[in-house]
Amino acid sequence: MTRQSRDPFGQLMLSRRSMLLGSATLIAAAHPALSFAAVDSAAETRFMRLSTLLINHQLNPDIGARIAETATSQYKNFSPMLDAIIAIAEKKQAKTVEDFFTDIPDGELKDFAHWVIFAWYSGCSSEKRDAKVFTYEEALTFKTTSDVVTIPSFGFSGPNLWTRPNLPLSAPMPTF
Amino acid sequence: MTSFKTFLLAAPFAFVAFAPTISLAQDFPADLVEKGRYLATASDCVACHTAKGGKPMAGGLAIDSPVGTIMSTNITPSKETGIGNYTEAQFSDAVRKGVRADGANLYPAMPYTAYSFMSDADVHAMYAYFMKGVAPVEAKNAETSLPFPMNIRASMIGWNLLFRNNTPLSDDPKQSAEWNRGRYLAEGAAHCATCHTPRGAFMQEKASLNLSGAQVGPWYAPDITSDKVTGIGSWSQDELVTYLKTGRLAGKAQAAGSMGEAITHSFQHLTDADLKAIATYVESVPSAHPAAAATGATRFDQGKPVNELAALRGKGFDNGMKGAHSGAQIFSANCASCHGFNGQGTADGYYPSIFHNSATAGSNASNLIATILYGVERETESGHVFMPPFGDQPNALTQLDNVEVASLANYILKDYGNSKLTVTAHDVGVIREGGPKSDIVTLARIGMGAGALVVLALIAMAVILPRRGRAGADKANA
Amino acid sequence: MVTKTSADVIVVGTGVVGVVIAEQLIDAGHSVLMIEAGPRVTRAEVVENWRNAPLGVKGDTSVAYPPRPWAPHPTGADKPEDAYLQFTGPDPYDQTFIRYAGGSTWHWAGTSWRLTPEDMRLHSLYGVGRDWAFDYDTLEPYYVRTEHKLGISGPSDRALQWPQTGARSAPYLMPSFPFSPGEQKFTEVVKTLGYTNIPVAQARNSGMPYDGRPACCANNNCVPVCPVAAKYDAETSLGRLERKGVTLLVDSVVYKVETNAQNKIEAVHFYDQHKESHRITGKLFVLACNGLENPKLLLMSANDRNPNGVANSSDQVGRNMMDHPARTLTVTTKEPFWSGLGPVVNSGIMETSQGAFRSEHAGAYFRYNNFARNRFVTFAALKKGLVGKALDEEIRRMTACTADIVAAHEVLPDPNNRLTLSAKKDWLGLPKPSIHYDVGEYVRKSAETYSLPIGKQIAAAMGAIDVKITPKFSNSKHIMGGTIMGKDASNSVVDVDCRAHDHENLFIPGGGAMASTACGNSTITMTALAIKAADAIVAQMRGA
Repeated sequence: MTRQSRDPFGQLMLSRRSMLLGSATLIAAAHPALSFAAVDSAAETRFMRLSTLLINHQLNPDIGARIAETATSQYKNFSPMLDAIIAIAEKKQAKTVEDFFTDIPDGELKDFAHWVIFAWYSGCSSEKRDAKVFTYEEALTFKTTSDVVTIPSFGFSGPNLWTRPNLPLSAPMPTF
Repeated sequence: MTSFKTFLLAAPFAFVAFAPTISLAQDFPADLVEKGRYLATASDCVACHTAKGGKPMAGGLAIDSPVGTIMSTNITPSKETGIGNYTEAQFSDAVRKGVRADGANLYPAMPYTAYSFMSDADVHAMYAYFMKGVAPVEAKNAETSLPFPMNIRASMIGWNLLFRNNTPLSDDPKQSAEWNRGRYLAEGAAHCATCHTPRGAFMQEKASLNLSGAQVGPWYAPDITSDKVTGIGSWSQDELVTYLKTGRLAGKAQAAGSMGEAITHSFQHLTDADLKAIATYVESVPSAHPAAAATGATRFDQGKPVNELAALRGKGFDNGMKGAHSGAQIFSANCASCHGFNGQGTADGYYPSIFHNSATAGSNASNLIATILYGVERETESGHVFMPPFGDQPNALTQLDNVEVASLANYILKDYGNSKLTVTAHDVGVIREGGPKSDIVTLARIGMGAGALVVLALIAMAVILPRRGRAGADKANA
Repeated sequence: MVTKTSADVIVVGTGVVGVVIAEQLIDAGHSVLMIEAGPRVTRAEVVENWRNAPLGVKGDTSVAYPPRPWAPHPTGADKPEDAYLQFTGPDPYDQTFIRYAGGSTWHWAGTSWRLTPEDMRLHSLYGVGRDWAFDYDTLEPYYVRTEHKLGISGPSDRALQWPQTGARSAPYLMPSFPFSPGEQKFTEVVKTLGYTNIPVAQARNSGMPYDGRPACCANNNCVPVCPVAAKYDAETSLGRLERKGVTLLVDSVVYKVETNAQNKIEAVHFYDQHKESHRITGKLFVLACNGLENPKLLLMSANDRNPNGVANSSDQVGRNMMDHPARTLTVTTKEPFWSGLGPVVNSGIMETSQGAFRSEHAGAYFRYNNFARNRFVTFAALKKGLVGKALDEEIRRMTACTADIVAAHEVLPDPNNRLTLSAKKDWLGLPKPSIHYDVGEYVRKSAETYSLPIGKQIAAAMGAIDVKITPKFSNSKHIMGGTIMGKDASNSVVDVDCRAHDHENLFIPGGGAMASTACGNSTITMTALAIKAADAIVAQMRGA
């Protein structure tokens, strides 16, 4: 992944991200202190499976472990709900969330599915002041606009080099 | 290179009295003066002979060394306080032989060993420039007084006998004109070897290890031989020219410390033809290692974009600082705003990635630690690059202690840089104090009883080893 | 001679006003002791506090600066009855400020509009408010010194500078910043309406390092903290001041200003964090605690000789509390604008703050907020129940196609807008500030007949498909007026150098002294007054 300064912006971001996510499992293995004791690893794995079914993007398993940890304490049916939603998706041989999401029955299961999506996109367990924070910089909301909007507190470009054209909504979204 | 500060110690007070009082009212043609200016730029005289914020070439830069603070001297053509009374022969002897007008020896922190390769014609042009192209500045040299026995200049006579080159470089007919021009500049005016070549027992440059890397105070001037792994053999000529012109090569390396100054004051001002020539020569310098050793990753392609933030987010800064992820916490809090939470830098490459970066993946951690402590500063046509220092400088906005810098460095080394290295707080302390050094004064005093040669070696060490140059100078001037 | 209990000059408060004065005095050879109510923290900690805060409360600056028990400041977490600031009037005086070493410039945007000559002569020109005790030309050199001290960037094109009616005697130090796509588009849109959206002069390093601080890297986090200190904040000066010999006491809450037989200030008293009281003596005292804490402290210091409070023979201490009452239009557009590249406040329409109409109603300054919009829209997008590609596209659309346009108004000094001491006590047992505040008819009329109509016109020109306007005036966190300046000691608290009329060795510089607010942010005017006061202090100490 040699950096070329003239790489188109999107491609560069993509290549970095691919590298990050591609190696994410290895990273988790390489950081023993990053495993989270509160959730057993099998549940973590199933939670990541659920998450990748609900979200059509690559996800950092370290963050997944944090979300799973909170989900375990917040949802007493955590484990059966995991299994139930995964089963619905597998029955549909779902490749993307659109393939099966409407099949999740309203109520506890759908609410949980929405919560999982909420957690990945906002990085938090709720909108409130006492929310648990799983991630800030990798919250998916920022990835949807990473080509034209700063993740606040992280630099975007060299000094005074951030002039950009006004992208139409039809412009492609960054891949993440 | 420029932290090899001049040891033109407190000379003018002495030599003004001895200087011959002949007239120097020579007229030099403008193009000769201009040629001299170019050569003086290539030689980077200004870096050492100008105080921060001071007038060009008027000296007064305070240089910390293990043996005391040394002040660079006024080399403007002022007759009273500068070199305005120097004859061309005296000028030539100072530049190429390390001998002052009054006959006293300079210490080889003034890179006369390199300048000795310069031709008579070029020294003539430099003389013209220094007499006519530099504005005279009346600025008395600040006195430097080093402790005994470092004040014995005469000991350099023996060293010169052993190690000084006495003849200008002549072209190698087997090589191209470009290569010969490159060698002439690199070995002469640009004095690459002064920093990049390791020293022998008497602190002389070891020719067999030419440009294979050496410690320069807190910084490490890396291997720039053609070795594909340890050197810059993986760089194209264009890449090396880009580096010399801008001080950076995206995804590979940036110039900081003395090299940042060399880019600022010297290399960026050279012609493209000369930079290409230097690149051609440097990339021909043979590896110092056996050919068989040339496998593995270079210092330009190590590390990967990762973070440990899942262990930190939402759990409080104090917790992060106490735990196993303190290095990651320090990185996030102090570095990530510019260098990215994955160490990836900005998309335009202006703020470099921390991985794929020679600063974090060198053969030792000096440059990583020095970058953290001293920051980065260089000015080129494309702007003023400034990474703030995190050391104990007066202008350091955030000061990290040795334990914090070690934690940070270890985090960076583990994931982004040379994962074989680790750093201790003591290592950081050594770099903070200006780099590895010995207790030279004590040793030298003991050495007085053990024989002149030991003294000679130690004095030479004192001269070569200090190189705290810029870092210390900042301390004294800021 | 400086000790922990005495110095030539005692400066209470370590914000921008305190540090510029302290530096000038230590440079002039006087010993200086600074007293700060709150803690000293590292930038690293503040940055990480903010990143660790939940997305839903990132707009509350106090999440990055949790108050210490002994030095409370307003937070978004408090219930009104428990809050540090107590309100009694029709409008809340709902300020945000920080009792930390370095003060509230920690979280300012860096916006550095000068006053205009007209802003300083409201009474003469428009028959409203007060005139300043001196004119723009008197203040101008101090603005220049402020711009150098803080490192202020701005346009070199005279037509884009503010004010247009007052001279500049020196250029800006650095160029103005490039606009984000949204700012660029906004500028083009308002131009069709005849308005000029000009670059904000700002205390932020533009394209180059300055004063040991790096260039702005577009991290879009000026509020609540610049992670790299490209933006000036007073914390960046503290280490330098200490190395020059200033003594800095933190976690030390000054609660009493003591006067002597000549009615000069003899000492200040502070509580440490263990509630133990200490006394600090000096030759001269500077209160630089901000326009709200200063009057509180003066009122708390009432004694037999000064029964209404120190410096309060005029009964004006705590009166004339001012701010920039603001209304925000959240505009949803059909086509994208895209904010979130570069500084969070980077441009504004200032010409709408001036005009003959000021005899009838307030002027207004319009700014296009350049905050990255994700945190404002994410929850709303998620609430729509969308998933997958539809969710991604909705977040992206809402981030691109929403914008906040803020109309900030000037407010007139009104003695009835008054800070008093509440019966409620803080952790140390000191009275909490109570503020009666009413933005007044002058401001309300502006919103009704002037600023909101212009705002709606701008929104329409932007292609708005929805406009939501905040129903009430919000505060801009620009605390002004509580120790108002004037030549007449019977109706003002400080003189032209911010010296208390009642006490020759007491200076109360900063926003509290401002006799009018205009519409632009107050910090550089506060700082200019501080430098003017510092000149007077140096002269006075020479004579002492």
